[in-house]
Amino acid sequence: MSVAFNVRTLAVVALLLVGLLVPLVVQDTYIRHLFIVAFIYAVVAASWDLSLGYAGIFNFGHVAFFGIGVYATGLAAKLLGIDPWLAMVIGGLAASAAAALVALPVVRLQGIYVVLVTFAFSQLVLQVVISQSAVTGGTQGLVRVPTIELFGYNFLRDYKFGYYYVALLLLVLTVACLRWLVRSDFGLSIRALRDNEDYGVSRGIPIGLQRLKVLMFSAFFAGLAGGFYVIYLRVASPEVFSFSTVSLILSMVLVGGTSSIYGPVFAALGLTFVSEGLANVDGLAEGRFMLVAVAMIVVLLFLPGGLASALPRKRLEQPAGTGSRMRPSSLGEKA
Amino acid sequence: MTADTISTILVSGIVLGSVYALMASGLSLVWTTLGIFNFAHGALMTLGAYMAWTISDAAGLDLWLAAGIAIAVAAVIGVGILMERLLIRPFYDRRDILLITVMTTLAAMIFLEKGMQLAWGARLKQLRPIVPGNVNLLGTTISAQEALIVVLAPVLLGLLWFFLRNSRIGRGIRAVGQNPAAAKLIGIDVSGLFIVTFALSAGLAALTGILLGSVRLVTPTFGAEPLVKALIIVIFGGLGSLGGTIAAAYLIGLLEAALIFFIGIYWAPSMIFVLLIAILLIRPQGLLGKVER
Repeated sequence: MSVAFNVRTLAVVALLLVGLLVPLVVQDTYIRHLFIVAFIYAVVAASWDLSLGYAGIFNFGHVAFFGIGVYATGLAAKLLGIDPWLAMVIGGLAASAAAALVALPVVRLQGIYVVLVTFAFSQLVLQVVISQSAVTGGTQGLVRVPTIELFGYNFLRDYKFGYYYVALLLLVLTVACLRWLVRSDFGLSIRALRDNEDYGVSRGIPIGLQRLKVLMFSAFFAGLAGGFYVIYLRVASPEVFSFSTVSLILSMVLVGGTSSIYGPVFAALGLTFVSEGLANVDGLAEGRFMLVAVAMIVVLLFLPGGLASALPRKRLEQPAGTGSRMRPSSLGEKA
Repeated sequence: MTADTISTILVSGIVLGSVYALMASGLSLVWTTLGIFNFAHGALMTLGAYMAWTISDAAGLDLWLAAGIAIAVAAVIGVGILMERLLIRPFYDRRDILLITVMTTLAAMIFLEKGMQLAWGARLKQLRPIVPGNVNLLGTTISAQEALIVVLAPVLLGLLWFFLRNSRIGRGIRAVGQNPAAAKLIGIDVSGLFIVTFALSAGLAALTGILLGSVRLVTPTFGAEPLVKALIIVIFGGLGSLGGTIAAAYLIGLLEAALIFFIGIYWAPSMIFVLLIAILLIRPQGLLGKVER
């Protein structure tokens, strides 16, 4: 056990060192850009794993929390003139606040209804962003967002050198926080609720409160990532809420495997490079999302032991309301 | 509030409600029978509209509209059956089928949407109306096509109800929905009926798309907005019963029309969502859903 732990610690430290050295070796701006975007997606995917994988909440509004972070930070920095560093934190907090709002109904719902409410929520946020074009820029997007500075150093300089380290720091901090969370008593309690809700509740775990906290924590990191995303790219477009973004990040979580935090991080790094690489191939700018969709289905079909077996179990046995007695899969179990 | 206002809200509400009822009943049918939620339902609707356009429009094959409708519905039913085979059937024995099929149908939706964008491009298309001209309904003028939707929706849903109630296959579908294990025990071909159900639902989606395709402009994301509305409707009405879903569809249609009239088109969706959350706080099983605890 302790040997395995040491090997993993060594691997993490080694990867961290590699991560720190990359910008010194890689001079190409575009490759650095891909790393930065990959780190951002990794934060979103890993934090999604907290609510979807560990807590077993069918949260399909996670990308909306990311988008809320994007717009909250962008608007705070651009219109209110708040320092962009602070604005990023505001993005995280805004996403957390939105998560609390969604949690109000979600903690009381089961199964498919959780999926529907979180989905409807993300579409609603998109519609609000598009309709309030006077503030958000509508479908044109929010442009000319201020950049970050530190001790007079503007991060626009040196071919994204500074941005790379901010993104890496964001990723490392997020992963450290998430790993700490899932290994704490809190993490144990949310997994207990996922695996056996009735038993967990009977042992005194406050289910509503734990789910509220899970959603707020997981949304905070997504919002923070969104904040950095908009400060880095300096534009925000409603595209961040689109089903394409949802499927891309969901495929990262699935390919990496749920309930691991590290899995989605590595999948995000890999898939960002593959997806961006394909985007440059003629005719695949949109078509690559078809490939992402196929990849998702293939993973779900052929890697059930590795990935889907780690998916939440207990809550799936009892879809909301009338669903439970109608599920076709109960055929095999009862017959 | 004048009589004119009431008439406008009522008529546009019923038009919206009819579209939503056609859309949501297909979703509800698949849910009650198979226990899965098909996120690609909106994309099937779009596919139906594009197919019918390609076959009947002057820029396409320029055949009769009737041919376009028939072939489009048949093709979408084929795609629906293929989806059931590839994306749902392999997971029947999995305990987490609900979550897995949410993801596979979501993937199918992306696949279809992007595929249609590649095949038909981003340019707006519009189907020829089945019936041209305008109609005056309760003092409000709407296009004849919209009037056709208002008339056809109850007819189609009535036929569906009659089919589920009286035909041998329909009774089988309801039996499978109520208890698949018992249905199998008495010799009902459960997996065959899953296919029939999916085909019916896909056919309804295609028809909705074709009917709406001459009222609204067809784009690759044409079905996304009705799908989101259908989501809200099935949350309101509860997914369990076709009747509840249809009632909720008309209710939401009228509510949306009223909200658009009084607070404008931008804030109406947000208001509906806030209302939804408020209702779910009081009744977590949906407004019309039954308590099953």
